[in-house]
Amino acid sequence: MSKRVFEHPQEEVNGPQYWRSFGQLAQTPEFKEWQAREFQTGASELNPEVGRRGFMKYMAASAALAGLSLSACRREEKTLVPFAQSVEWSVPGKPIFYATSRPHRRGAIPLVATTHDGRPTKVDGNPGHPTNKGATDTQSQASLLDVYDPDRSRRFQLAGKESSEAEFTKWLAGALEKAGDGQGVAFLTEHFTSPTYARLKKAVAAKLPKAMWVTYEPLGGSEASDAHAAAFGADFRTVPQLDKADVILSLDCDFVGFDEGRLEGIRAFSARRKPEQKMNRLYVVENRYTTTGGMADHRLRSQAGKIGAVARAFAEKIAAATGDAGLQSVVDSFPKVSSPEKSAKWIDEATKDLVAQKGKALVLVGYRQPAAVQALGHAMNAALGAIGETVIGRKTHGHGGGNSLKELAVALGLENAEQKKARVEKLTAENAVRKSKHEPELPIAAHGDSSIKTLFILGGNPAYNAPAELKFGELLAGTDVVRHGSYEDETTYSVETDKDGKVTKRIFVKWHVPAAHYLEAWGDGTASDGSHVSQQPMILPLFGGWSEIQLLDFILTGKKSEGLELVQETFKEVARGIDAVSWAKFLHDGFLPAAAPREPIAFNPVTAKEIAAKYVAPAEGMEVVFAPCAKVDDGRFSNNAWIQELPDPITKITWDNAAIISPATAQKLGLGAKKEDGLFDFENGAWLAIEANGAQLEIPVAIIPGTADDSITIAVGYGRTHEGRVGGREGNYMSHGGLFAVKGQVGFNVYPLRTAANHYFATASVKKSNRAAYQLAVTQEHGALEGRGPDVLRQGTKELFDRVPDFAKFVEGMDEYAEERDKQKYPVSRSAYTHPTLNDANHQWGMAIDLSMCTGCSACMIACQSENNIPVVGKEQVIEGRELHWIRMDRYFTSYQSEVRDDENSDKLTTDDFNSREKRIDINEARMVMQPMPCQHCENAPCETVCPVNATVHSDDGINVMAYNRCIGTRYCANNCPFKVRRFNFFDFNERQKDKYFRQNLINEKGMAETLKLSKNPNVTVRMRGVMEKCTFCVQRVQEAKIAAKVKAKDSSNVKVPTDAFKVACQQVCPSEAIVFGNLNDPDSAIVKVKKSERDYRVFDYLGIKPRVSYLARVTNPNPNMPDAPKHVPTQGNDNNDGQREKWKKQQLANAEGGKH
Amino acid sequence: MASAAHNTSEDGIVVLHCPPELAKIPLVNHNRSLNWITENVASICEEKTRRYWWIAFFLFSPIALFVPTLLAYQVGNGVGVWGENQPFGWAWDITNFVFWIGIGHAGTLISAILFLTRQKWRTSINRAAEAMTLFAVMCAGLYPGFHVGRFWKAWYLFPIPNWNALWQNYRSPLLWDVFAVSTYFTVSVLFWYVGLIPDLATLRDRAKSKIKQFAYGIGALGWRGGNRHWQHYEMAYLILAGLSTPLVLSVHSIVSFDFATSIVPGWHTTIFPPYFVAGAIFGGFAMVLTLMLPARLFYPQLDDMITRNHVDKMAKIILLTGTIVGYAYLMELFVGLVYSGNFYESNAFLNRATGWYHWHYYAMMFCNVISPQIFWFKRMRHNYIVVFIICQFVNAGMWFERFVIIGTTLAQDFLPSSWGHYTPSWVEVFTFIGTFGMFISLFLLFMRFLPMITIFEVKAVKPEADPHFHPDGDHSHDSHATATPKGAAAH
Repeated sequence: MSKRVFEHPQEEVNGPQYWRSFGQLAQTPEFKEWQAREFQTGASELNPEVGRRGFMKYMAASAALAGLSLSACRREEKTLVPFAQSVEWSVPGKPIFYATSRPHRRGAIPLVATTHDGRPTKVDGNPGHPTNKGATDTQSQASLLDVYDPDRSRRFQLAGKESSEAEFTKWLAGALEKAGDGQGVAFLTEHFTSPTYARLKKAVAAKLPKAMWVTYEPLGGSEASDAHAAAFGADFRTVPQLDKADVILSLDCDFVGFDEGRLEGIRAFSARRKPEQKMNRLYVVENRYTTTGGMADHRLRSQAGKIGAVARAFAEKIAAATGDAGLQSVVDSFPKVSSPEKSAKWIDEATKDLVAQKGKALVLVGYRQPAAVQALGHAMNAALGAIGETVIGRKTHGHGGGNSLKELAVALGLENAEQKKARVEKLTAENAVRKSKHEPELPIAAHGDSSIKTLFILGGNPAYNAPAELKFGELLAGTDVVRHGSYEDETTYSVETDKDGKVTKRIFVKWHVPAAHYLEAWGDGTASDGSHVSQQPMILPLFGGWSEIQLLDFILTGKKSEGLELVQETFKEVARGIDAVSWAKFLHDGFLPAAAPREPIAFNPVTAKEIAAKYVAPAEGMEVVFAPCAKVDDGRFSNNAWIQELPDPITKITWDNAAIISPATAQKLGLGAKKEDGLFDFENGAWLAIEANGAQLEIPVAIIPGTADDSITIAVGYGRTHEGRVGGREGNYMSHGGLFAVKGQVGFNVYPLRTAANHYFATASVKKSNRAAYQLAVTQEHGALEGRGPDVLRQGTKELFDRVPDFAKFVEGMDEYAEERDKQKYPVSRSAYTHPTLNDANHQWGMAIDLSMCTGCSACMIACQSENNIPVVGKEQVIEGRELHWIRMDRYFTSYQSEVRDDENSDKLTTDDFNSREKRIDINEARMVMQPMPCQHCENAPCETVCPVNATVHSDDGINVMAYNRCIGTRYCANNCPFKVRRFNFFDFNERQKDKYFRQNLINEKGMAETLKLSKNPNVTVRMRGVMEKCTFCVQRVQEAKIAAKVKAKDSSNVKVPTDAFKVACQQVCPSEAIVFGNLNDPDSAIVKVKKSERDYRVFDYLGIKPRVSYLARVTNPNPNMPDAPKHVPTQGNDNNDGQREKWKKQQLANAEGGKH
Repeated sequence: MASAAHNTSEDGIVVLHCPPELAKIPLVNHNRSLNWITENVASICEEKTRRYWWIAFFLFSPIALFVPTLLAYQVGNGVGVWGENQPFGWAWDITNFVFWIGIGHAGTLISAILFLTRQKWRTSINRAAEAMTLFAVMCAGLYPGFHVGRFWKAWYLFPIPNWNALWQNYRSPLLWDVFAVSTYFTVSVLFWYVGLIPDLATLRDRAKSKIKQFAYGIGALGWRGGNRHWQHYEMAYLILAGLSTPLVLSVHSIVSFDFATSIVPGWHTTIFPPYFVAGAIFGGFAMVLTLMLPARLFYPQLDDMITRNHVDKMAKIILLTGTIVGYAYLMELFVGLVYSGNFYESNAFLNRATGWYHWHYYAMMFCNVISPQIFWFKRMRHNYIVVFIICQFVNAGMWFERFVIIGTTLAQDFLPSSWGHYTPSWVEVFTFIGTFGMFISLFLLFMRFLPMITIFEVKAVKPEADPHFHPDGDHSHDSHATATPKGAAAH
């Protein structure tokens, strides 16, 4: 760990200057030397006059003394150093909150960071900001860990050798002097939304007018901006208003997952998923399950390449139904492609629904789809009267502009085949001449000469993720590259390996400049709604990194600034003036509202028509889809252990990506699909050899129901060759027990298959590869509910809900059976013990989770991990089944009764239906449902009675608490937990070094990286091995609130925590607000209102355990006319129900329906 | 009949005789003398160590060393070196615990219950069976101690007064286990030791070396065989037998509560206590035979004391308890699958029979229910090889039973999302093998240094020990002393 220096924030530039010492003020050479010296002056240093003999004498004497006193056997001494001088506003033990934001290419995400003693320990959404209102996403939560990542680049590097900031600045000043007007200078940057960055960029561009500027994002939306420009004009983009839409058609748009809208979209969408209000209806066409597809009322599987055809079919029908000329003209210009026949009725009925809800309908097209398809989407929205209603316009964040990456590549020496041939021929001829003259021959380089002398790469990792045909990594060799990045990764240096994977050569760029994390640097950004957000540093850069604005400013001024004055300068422009009040308010609130949150836009069919005409239908056959990863994004989070260990929301795979295929495709390819007794056996891990765009990839499969046939989806961002100990490191550094396909690489890199033209999908030739099955670390092996739906996951349709609002209470599960028995005065399933009275009359904590709203995004899992210091366990231990997440996101595949196939001899792949073992369903069409499963805090907890040492007990305020100190680890509680939510520390995961993924013993050296220790939440115990742990309802937050109430109450007796005064971590992060937590003894609290819902039910209530966590039944809103609509209510039940229960249930339903049944 | 029943002796006195099929089968064959018994039992401890004892000991004692080595490795690293996971909080550890504890039942049952019910055939096997009990309970006791995550805190399980006034959770069956097993072990040790005292005195008196005299002398507690000694001894032994009898039934009942009182379908059944006890006796007798049959091979003189008759009786008990266990399996299946009306119960049992671990279930059924049925045939009961093989089936079957109860239940319980698989790690496999090494090594030491057969009790069951005994046609006092009745030959 580098030394932490706590400094007061920089004073305002105009204000008085303060200094800590005269030396600092003077910046004298003595002071600088004093800073640089390892040992202070006067400290004993080796006297050069002591000769060999003298040295030996001293050593012998000290060794003897050391041996006598056994001083070598002493334990390592550790000291705690307190703040020598207290910081003015810092109260020990009290966190300080700062508003800040995380830069993101689709708009900065406004955050509030929690800092303890000057170190950020948690980030959350900014509750004041309209886009997320306190919610965040998985990656923002996990980004905290990156601050403390010991693998982040820590040094200035000159051609692979450690250098210093001073040398770099010296070199840079010289280089800029030579650069003149910028000829031969190029900038390659990520897409920054920061206004300060934009301002500085403009200034630099003015200083170096001939410099080349390239913005590259591997998952950027250049197709989307082209379509927007064509449809609405270059400055505008559209933003869906999901709360206003009654019917939504999503054509491969993962708006609740990864696409446009994100947090804003999820919030607006799920607000309309409450069946108590008017529900929206979602139609989704996609090639693989995304969280959006999981929320769909109707879902059509289609290859990603066929989405264009489906969109055209929709557009054609909408044009016919609405008679909209603009749409008609776009459709007409769109080349004729036919959509699959079997989906005709689906499209027909969905169109009718959309047209019927004109003005409240919305069509969304995924931003990665070709611009032509997106233009169709805009045209459909125009025809459906969505523009201005369900779709509004906003100014773009200024999408780069400048040159394209390809232009840069050409400038760096990329040649086409002819050019290369010509050059090689020319050189060969010259060499022949030289040979005859006995002169040394010229080397023939792999690429042409570079016209760029200095290339600045700000962020990003183009060598890893640039389109494959550019071979970008190779082009960097001929140029002085200044690489500003967080990791010494593929762009910083490339490696050459021999056939055993041993590194033979490393080729470094000229300069590597460590980048500061966003929590370490001043900055700003533009949120997705156009508001100006602040970015404040929480801690000085741990590894001395620079922010990109510091680097740009250095290029401008030749001086290193703190960044603060740069942001203030921009703020002056944005806020039209600056004063102490407005600046302080900006920092406090974290944002300045957008001047114009919506812009009037009008659809322009003429230009849209032109772009639609450019559509090229992909070839038929197998396709490979390069999907953005819900976890590692484009690969930038791949060294984040929280992210790697988070199960993918759909596949539940950790520590890897895989080729997602449908069961039918698996069978077609002859792998992993076995059909026995009508049951389908998933066998993940068989290998596929995929060839696309001239590159090959071998990758194991994950067979996921609901995937389109002949479509292979692979998440990008894996298979890093060198980055860090988590995401991938060259050579043999990581001890994962040889569990990865390539030593030291996590997952499989699909970027080499991806070209600029086929950046989203490509036709591929695929065949089975006969390698031994690969072990994927999957956290949920079993995806069917096995007839347990009625007890575990209750669901119904809006139609049923309207008829029988409390339908969830009448399902034919064991609970209903128990209730019935209760009525008959049978003492069934009730505890033999009277559970202790819960004495706290003021507080009884409870939670409710709305399954209608939960998208399964799994952000709660990371939020919980961050808040509760939950360690990662590594791939091997996940395979062993020892992951430690306190909240589990259960994902099930289910089916409506209407999809049950009665003909048992059908050769369709079938599996256990969730309703019955007898009935069969087509699992290719299975529906997906999610259920977050934290500790249920049963009032009559089965875990508590069986603990022999009273380590898990109930608190007076109704929390099932764990006393870690008391726990001896019998694991009986975990066995007796019906929800299996207790987690056991099989090893000392906290005491394990980062590069040692498992087992530490008493002999080995232990301990985590120093920086990682800083990331821990000081209010939560860091558990040792051998103890059980589990969700505590964030007891530290509960206690904090209770203490605050007590302090406030002073002598009065009112110690009740104010209504909904705090949130627990999973609730706080939840973008769809599906999780509600609060005080059940407070009639005003949100939880009391939610629990009164008729949909409220408790899982396994029949056991008499009284869970404090309840679920609200999942209600979908299917269109009865659709071909895949449920024909009747899912009558859930099990096989051994007797006639009595059936009769009773029918009677209940009849009563409820007023005899309508 | 009368002609067969009445014989006239040489000197014309009519002697009453039963027909041979009704004659009491003698408990000691060949009508061995009392001295012969003392000589032949004590000689095992006194003679030069036999070569095959050394071979056996050098074979098994290194295996026994697996136990401390691997337990140290496990405590040093964490329970993670075993294969357990979520949802398998328990797997081989508790399976092996219940397995060994079950084996530990036969000894005390033989000593206590058969003692109280005056089953005289117990005398030649009770010492060894009790020793086996102790060693099995030692093996068993390792597991609950070491399976915990923090071994160094396992003392929290004991009610030690402390400053925090923290006590155990008396509702937890795991705590009942601690008390039940420790009580059982304590009483079993006492019972065994009290029964040993007279024989230790015999060994002391026969010992030739000072060390042996001293060692056996310490153990014999100054026993001189006085009338008063015998009176106290008989009373103490009776009291301990009375104490042990309920313990035999309670220990495994309480072990079964670990499962029966939980709410996990497949564990939560009221049939467990009797079914566990029957299973324990079943497995215990199989292990007694597993040890005694080779012991007879080692020391052929034991043949006359541990007779075919003994083996036959034990085989019958195995048959009886095996059938009880089979009944329990089927009843459990019927109740769970059909009668409970509980979806989760029926699925738990369906999963046992058809789920991922179904072959364990069928192995259990075959070994425990079907294989002992061969004991309906006397010829099979009398064939030592068959008996030994069946006993091995039973030993394996009882292990499978425990794994079926623990493993298959935890593999698939309530929520399908958390269903999981389990594979034992090499550490737990070798720890288990190590416990066998430990068990057998201890038994070998016992055989070598302590009288394997209760000398004085075997003497007591000889016909001439009966005060009313009259050897045929000989009323002289000498005959009592020499104890060589003429007409009493069994064959």
